[in-house]
This record gives sequence, structure tokens and C-alpha cells, in this order.
Amino acid sequence: MRARSTASGLALALIAAACGGGGAGGVGDNTPQGEEITAAPSDAQASLFVFGATYETGDEIAKTRVDRFQELYPSVDVEFSESGFEEQPFLSALASGDPPDVVNIPRNQLGTFIARGVLDPLDSCLEAEGIDMGVFYESAVEQVTVEGVAYAVPEFFNSRLWMINTKAFEDAGLNPDEFDFSDWDAIADANEKLTKGGNRPTRLGIDPKLPEFLPLWAVANGTPVISDDGMESQLDDPAVAEALEFANSLHEPAGGRTSFLDFRDTWDFFGAKNQFAQDQLAAMPMEQWYLTVLAEASPDVDLTVRPFETRDGEPITWADGNSWAIPAESQDKAAACAFIRAMTEKDAWLAAAEARAQTAKKENQPNTGVYTGNREADEEIFANLDLGEWPWLEEAVQVVRDVQEHAWSLPPSPASAQFENAYKAAGDEVMNQGTDAEQVLTQADERVQREIDRAAR
Amino acid sequence: MSANTGLTNQQREFRWAMVFMSPWIVGFLVFMAGPMLWSLWLSFTDYDPLRANTAFVGLDNYRELLVDPEVRTSLWNTVFFTVFYVPGTIASGLALALLLQRVGRAVGFFRTAFYLPNITPAVAVGALFLLLLNGRDGLVNQALRAIGLPGPSWLNDPAWIKPGVILMMLWSVGSTVIIYLAALQNVPRDLYEAAEVDGAGAWHKFRYITLPMISGAIFFTLIINTIASLQLFTEVYAMFFGGQESGAAGQAALFYVIYLFRNAFEFFAMGYASALAWVLFVVIGIITVIQVKTSKRWVYYEGD
Amino acid sequence: MAVQPAPRSLVPSVSRPEAVVDTTTPDGFGPGRVMRKAVFVVTLVAVTALFVYPLIWLLSASLKPPAEVFSSDFIGSEVRWDNYTRLFQMAPILTWGWNSLVVTLLGATAVTFSSAMVAFAFSYFRFRYRDGLFLLVLATMMLPGAVLMIPQFLIWDGLGLNNTLYPLWAGNLFGSAFYIFMLRQFLLTLPRELFEAARVDGAGYFRLWWNIALPLTRSALIVVFLFELKVLWTDLVRPLIFLRDVQLFTLPRGLKAIIDNPAIGGQQQWELLAAGSVLVTLPMVVLFFIFQRYFTEGIATTGSTGR
Repeated sequence: MRARSTASGLALALIAAACGGGGAGGVGDNTPQGEEITAAPSDAQASLFVFGATYETGDEIAKTRVDRFQELYPSVDVEFSESGFEEQPFLSALASGDPPDVVNIPRNQLGTFIARGVLDPLDSCLEAEGIDMGVFYESAVEQVTVEGVAYAVPEFFNSRLWMINTKAFEDAGLNPDEFDFSDWDAIADANEKLTKGGNRPTRLGIDPKLPEFLPLWAVANGTPVISDDGMESQLDDPAVAEALEFANSLHEPAGGRTSFLDFRDTWDFFGAKNQFAQDQLAAMPMEQWYLTVLAEASPDVDLTVRPFETRDGEPITWADGNSWAIPAESQDKAAACAFIRAMTEKDAWLAAAEARAQTAKKENQPNTGVYTGNREADEEIFANLDLGEWPWLEEAVQVVRDVQEHAWSLPPSPASAQFENAYKAAGDEVMNQGTDAEQVLTQADERVQREIDRAAR
Repeated sequence: MSANTGLTNQQREFRWAMVFMSPWIVGFLVFMAGPMLWSLWLSFTDYDPLRANTAFVGLDNYRELLVDPEVRTSLWNTVFFTVFYVPGTIASGLALALLLQRVGRAVGFFRTAFYLPNITPAVAVGALFLLLLNGRDGLVNQALRAIGLPGPSWLNDPAWIKPGVILMMLWSVGSTVIIYLAALQNVPRDLYEAAEVDGAGAWHKFRYITLPMISGAIFFTLIINTIASLQLFTEVYAMFFGGQESGAAGQAALFYVIYLFRNAFEFFAMGYASALAWVLFVVIGIITVIQVKTSKRWVYYEGD
Repeated sequence: MAVQPAPRSLVPSVSRPEAVVDTTTPDGFGPGRVMRKAVFVVTLVAVTALFVYPLIWLLSASLKPPAEVFSSDFIGSEVRWDNYTRLFQMAPILTWGWNSLVVTLLGATAVTFSSAMVAFAFSYFRFRYRDGLFLLVLATMMLPGAVLMIPQFLIWDGLGLNNTLYPLWAGNLFGSAFYIFMLRQFLLTLPRELFEAARVDGAGYFRLWWNIALPLTRSALIVVFLFELKVLWTDLVRPLIFLRDVQLFTLPRGLKAIIDNPAIGGQQQWELLAAGSVLVTLPMVVLFFIFQRYFTEGIATTGSTGR
């Protein structure tokens, strides 16, 4: 329960940030729904309410880009919800007829909102502001596109990889740089060796991060949990069940799932005494933003980063992140669109990365860069990164960069929220009740397929 | 003297009574009667505030509710909780009240101490028990280990989540203790003295004097604790639901009102949620009536 | 859930002096008695610790370094006031506290006076339908809050007041059945001659209420006010339903946000979660210690569980 860090790229921004600021919905010049968006003149009076993002309490990556937008559009008054995206308040705002003008949504959740018709298609926005979707990572673009129409613009790009406690591996006679992560039997053996303390573990071997990482294990086993168009659940595929059963079996040396989680719940995950620093964990697949956490909390930790691998030995990652969208009821779509452009274009990212570098320098912490959805921005950011003092991070960043080209992402399903619930609930049931994975997943598949079909209508 | 000389005293009194009553009358119409009817109507529709069209769907919501596996889960969880919590809180409340009754002058101090959990905000109780019930190093399991018992995984093992919730709610038994204590203090002492003359033992006195004399208080706590149990929400929602992913607790701690709340304010299926609400209303009504009816057999009222 | 009804037989007057009863029966002397006394004292202390120690533990956890929150040491390797500093930096605690204060004071004041008005109507005036109406008041106490949640959301939404603090307290302007019931019982104990004498002196009904009924029911009004203070301060349901903006959150809603958001505590940042819980709880503990007489007498005499 709890504490499964969600995969949103915003988490990165939130680690430093929290709450504050905010205000009521903005009212600007009314843009009737469906009207063509023309480029926003930089001197037009407007106000913009941004939901799901922080400024006052945000980090320099958020602040720099917003400040830059304000310089470009000094007459636009921008207010922020100063909180991460949450479905319930967002829907409540829409239901109350008090919608935000622009919203920051995790790409994994977009599908549901697109199907419900609460987000505007962005074609005229892209055209008006000259946003080229080609500069973003393909897997990110696929996540925001339904039937050829883009509904959002990718912001961050989050990928998942193995994070390995080097010393734990070496002590067990394993070489973290060469360990074969495509060999599941080898993973199981290593897990046995790496776990300490048995039923009352003092170190976990390998944390499979279930149920939330089930899609990653499934795609590594050759079958994604859902078809590429997001219309067919593939939870009933035996390969998915096999992946779940295998990943779940990794809990066993620590005395099973419950004692595993009970121990994990006590970790100082974001602090200096985190599970790697304290030798409480040997390895886990994790989102790359956690490197930034480690870089700040315990920069001297001895960590090896490796790509996740399919069983055929190919590197693979499951990628996601946030995106910017415009609610259908937005009061000022032209300004919203200009804002989206200003948050995602290359120059904005370069400015943000520079600010991040300055902060890191000032605090004498390693700068691990900014993982944007914008491939062109990333190329420049990472070309200039200097991690000389921290060789493990330099290697880690290179691994992240390489694996970004091997990304699989959840497609925008019309029932994306229900789909996520379905595979997590099925995973929980298998792990908690010990029920047969194939049977549980088949039942979940039937239920969620009905939801997809209904939502698609 | 009055300006309204045309009015009889009675009429004038009535007018003034209505003036004083007006807050409640307005509140009743606008915030109770009106909403009740509105929610009844909603329960026959597929109302979703995000959608433009609302259709009348007849009994569809009620039919759906009969086959919805989560309704079954949440009902089972709620009944399970109620069946253990209500007798548990009555028994422990009574035991503690009997204990406190023997304290003498210092009773005020202990009463205050016992009541502290009740003034702790429910959301803080939830947060506190996330810490206390940690299956590995939580205070509860540290204590259990100290006396040689294996501590279960209260927060991650679905079989132990409900017992953990019951434990958490029993922590707030203090208000029940205070009610019983007050009732105990009202039992006339001469009853005990008379019994002692007859050579009655402690158990006999408890069984035939104390229990009947405080049966009214027991009945009262039975009713309010049952109603409150069926509506268990805040502590558990704070622990396991909302912004976080629920894991094992998503099913094991899915109590009825939590499921109702999620439907209404997370999924915005307000029509369906209204049907859930009306079923709860009827169930609570039935249980209360049954309890009141059967109480006549065992509750002793002064003057009867 | 707010307060609940009490059967009539359980409602003596609020000002009843507290009886000091010690029913320990002298059953001989000697080691048996000492033994028994010892067992009694140990049991009492152990039981009291069950209720008090978790709160003290919470305070201690809130001052520990994060990796030591679960350790059995009462004081960590260092006392970290910094946990609180960080919490104040990360979340608008002062704003949340102010919102809580506004809602709590306005709501408790509103419900005290409105309930007192209605209770006066039921106790002083004699009019047709009075008993029927009073039964209706009693009946509304049985209404489960869950049934009213959805339409009340829609009503406040219709008034354009969602995402404001009004829905959290303004409903209290219309009285609350339980308090009406309680205050009426209390008012009925006042001799009617008091009012009649004032009437003869030419006092209007409003003055009867304001100058006689209210001052004479002062202690009961304080009980009502304090109970409602507690109900409003601890409420999470209404803030969950009605508030979206972080700046409008009350402390409990803010604490829920802290539990939910791994970045601002909760989850693995247990020390911040503990600190937040302490901040929400502390004002209630202080209030309770100042006014504990009213609290305990209120519960004992009204039979409310106050939850």
C-alpha cells in the first residue's frame, strides 16, 4: 500500500516543491469552444489559471520557464493551483463550471479525459503557435495522440531502469555491470543470495515494484498489457500472467509480500539514510527521477544503473511523464496555447536546465540534468552536462539517455484510469490472496475490456 | 401594549414562535428535506455533472448495485467491522468504566486521559495508526513482540487490515467510557447495600443490579455506535484512499461509505452513488427500528 | 459524523454536581488486599498508557530524524525541530490553520445561537404542531450524513460557493437537531415564572431569549460551542468535497494532502507526517485541557460520543 511513487514526471518537480499560491479560475477574453486558435498577441490582456502545476512552491525548472513566459507575455496574468494533478479536484472544477484554462496531466491518464471530451484537440493550437510535435520523443507523442489528433504536448520524459546497490551485488559475488538481467532464473537466484534476514528482512534482494511496474515486466516478457491502439486489453495473455507470477516470486525470500512491504514502508526513501545508503535494498527497477533524489540526498552512494531488459536481451524501458492540455471549457485558449508552447519549447528547457545547473553548483550537488519530452532540448542539455566528480552518476545518466530510445509507453486508452486500476487490483489480488494469476488476469481483462468498449462509444 | 392589537395572544405567540423556529425550518427544507428528495430522484438517473445529458434510468442503478462486486465487498467489510467493533467497544467501555469507578477522587484525571483519543482529529488518528500499525517496527508490533507474540502485517496483509482498523477505532472508546461512568454513578448505592445484606457476591451484584441499571446507557451506545460503524469513513479514507494508491487495502478496507464517496466525488457517478446512499439510509432505518423494538425486552427505564 | 441523540432518560441537567463514588468494598486486610490493590493500580496505569502513550509517541516521532521514526528509542539520536521548519516551508500550514480557525469559530458561533433560538421556540412557546415539529427535529438526527452529501454538494455548487469556505460552516446558521434537543431539555428546567415576570415588565420575546434564556443556559451553550468546535476542527469530509484550492484547505484537509503526497511528507517521509499530525491535534488538546470540565460533563450528561 501507499508509497508507490507514482510515475509522473511531476514527482521530480514535487520533490522540492509542495503547496501554496493558487486562486480562483481565470477569466480572460472568451474563446468559444471549438473556435480556431490564432497566435496570442503578446500584449493582449488575459489571465490564465493553470491546474496541476506549481510556481510559488515549484523548483527552478518550473519557475524559470514560467518567468520566461511572463517576459514574453507580460500582460497575461498567470495563476497556479500549486498542487500536482489530481483527478478529483480537476473533475470537480469542471463539474462546477469553473474549469482551469490549461492543465498539466500525467500522460498515462490522458485517455480517459480525451474520451470524456473534456480536453480540446490541439491541431489549431499547434498550428497557431508553430509547435512541431516531431521534436518530442515518439513514445511520448503516441501517448497524447488519438486517431491522429494531438490532445496534449509532452512535458517531462520519465524512464525506468535498474538501480543497483553495487556493494551488495559485489558482496554476493555478482558483477553489477555484467549481470544478465534478461535471464529471469538468474534474477531469482541473485534475489535469494541478496536477501538478508529471511522472514524478518534486513535487506531486500530485488524489489519488483509490484503491482505498479507490472506493465514493465509484461513488456519485457514479450507482451504489452494493452494493444498499441489502447483498445484491446491484453491482460489475459499468458505472458502477462507469467510476468506477474515471476515478479511476485521475488518477494518470497523475504518471507513473502507482507513482510517485504512492512520493511519497505520503514525506509527513509527521500532522505540521506535511504535504502541504498543503508544497504536495505540490493536492486529495483525505478523511474530515473529518483537519481536526482539520490544525487541530492546521498551523492556518494555506490549505485550502478542498468537498463531493464527483455528476456531476449534487448534494453527496454517503460516511459511516461506529464503533458500540457487545454480543457474544452478553457476561457482563454489562445493564451493557454502560448503558455504550452512556452513551457515545452527548446529555449525554455535550456533556460531551465541552466537554472538547475546553477542551483546544483551553489549547493555543491551533482546536476543530473532535466529529462524533458523534447528530444532536441535533451540533446543540448546532456551534451553540456558535467558530472566529473560523480562518475557513477555520469554513467547512470548515459544509461538513461540510451534507454530513452527503447521506450514503450501505455497508449491513450479511453478507459486509461480503469485500466490502471484493473491491472493493479489484479496484481494485488494475486500477491495477497495467492490466487492463480492467469485466472485473475483473465477476469480483470473481461471487466476492463467492457469498460474500454463502453468508454469508446 | 403590543402594536399588533388585531391579533390574539395565541396568534402573536405563534408568529413569534415561527420567527424563532425559522432557522431550523429553512435549514430543514433547504438542507435536509429538499436534498433527500433530490437524492432519491438522482438515484433513478445516470447523473454525472461532467456530462450534459442526464437520463432517467428507472431502477437500473439499484439493479447494478445488486451485481456490483465492490458493493458486495464493501458491505461485507462494513458488516464485519460493525459486528466486531460495536460489541467490542461496549464491552471494553464497560470494563474500563468499572475500573475507573473504583478510582475515587482521581477519576477526573483518568477520564481526561481516556478521552484524549476522541479529541484527536480523525485524519490524525489515521496518520498515527499508519505509523503504529506498521507490520515490522510499528509500536503495536513492538509491544506484541515484547510479550512473545508475532506481530501481524496490519497494513499490508488483507486478512489483518480490518482487525487493524477495529483496533484503531477501539482506541476512541473514551466517550463510551464516560457515558457508562456517568450511568454507574447514578446507580443508587442502597441497592448494593441491600444486596450485600442478602450475601450477594460481586458478580451477582454486577449481573442483577449494575447491568439492568445502566441498560439504558448501553442501549444508547449500541444504537449510536452501530449507526456510526455503518458510516465508517474518515480514518480509513485518510489512511488508504484519496491521492494514494490503495494496494491491499483497496479491497480489504473498502467500507460502504468509502465506496459511496468514491463513486460520487471521484468517479462522479452521482446517480449510482445516490442509489448507494438511499440503500444505506433504508438499512440504517431498519436496524435502528429493530434495535429500538427489541430494546423493550432488556432495557430498564426508571419509572417503568 | 456529528453528534447523536440521547434518550430522554439519560439527560439530567448539565450542572449536576459530579458524584464522587468509591465502591471499593472493604473486604479484609492483609496481603490479599495489598495484592489486589497492586493489581488494580498496575492495570489502571497500563490502560491509561494505552490511551495517552500513542500521542506522546507521535510527538517524539515528529522530532526524530527520518530513519529513526520507527525505532523504539523515545528520543532519537538528535531532536530535530527542523522537521517542523521543513513542514512550514513545504506546505502553507499557517494559511490552513487560519482557514480552520475561521471555519471553526464562525460555525460554532452560528450553531450555538441558531440552535438556542430554535430551542427557545420549542421550550417557551405553546403552539399548534409544536410536538409534531419537535418529533421531526428528533427524526432528522437519524439521517445519515452520507445521504445528504451529494445533494448538498449540488446545492452549494448551484449557489456558486463550491471551492469556498462557506459550505464548511454556513449550514450551521440553521441550527442542529442534536443541540436544539439538548438546549430545549435544559431550558425546560428553568422556572417559567422567570419569563412571565419579565413579560409583565414589558419585555419582548427577543429580550426574553437574549436577556434571560441565554444567560441562564450559559454552561449548556458553552458545551454546544465546544462540541461544535471539535466537530468542525476535525472534519475532513466537507473539506474533501468542497475544497479544491490548496490555499483554501483546512488543517485536516492539509494533513490528508500531506499523507497523499510523497513529496510533502506522508509515505516515506513519516517524520513530516507525524509533525503534521501533531499540529492538527495540538490545538484540540490545549482547548480540551482548558475546558475539560465542559467536555466530560457534556458527554456524560448528553450521552454524545461527540464523533
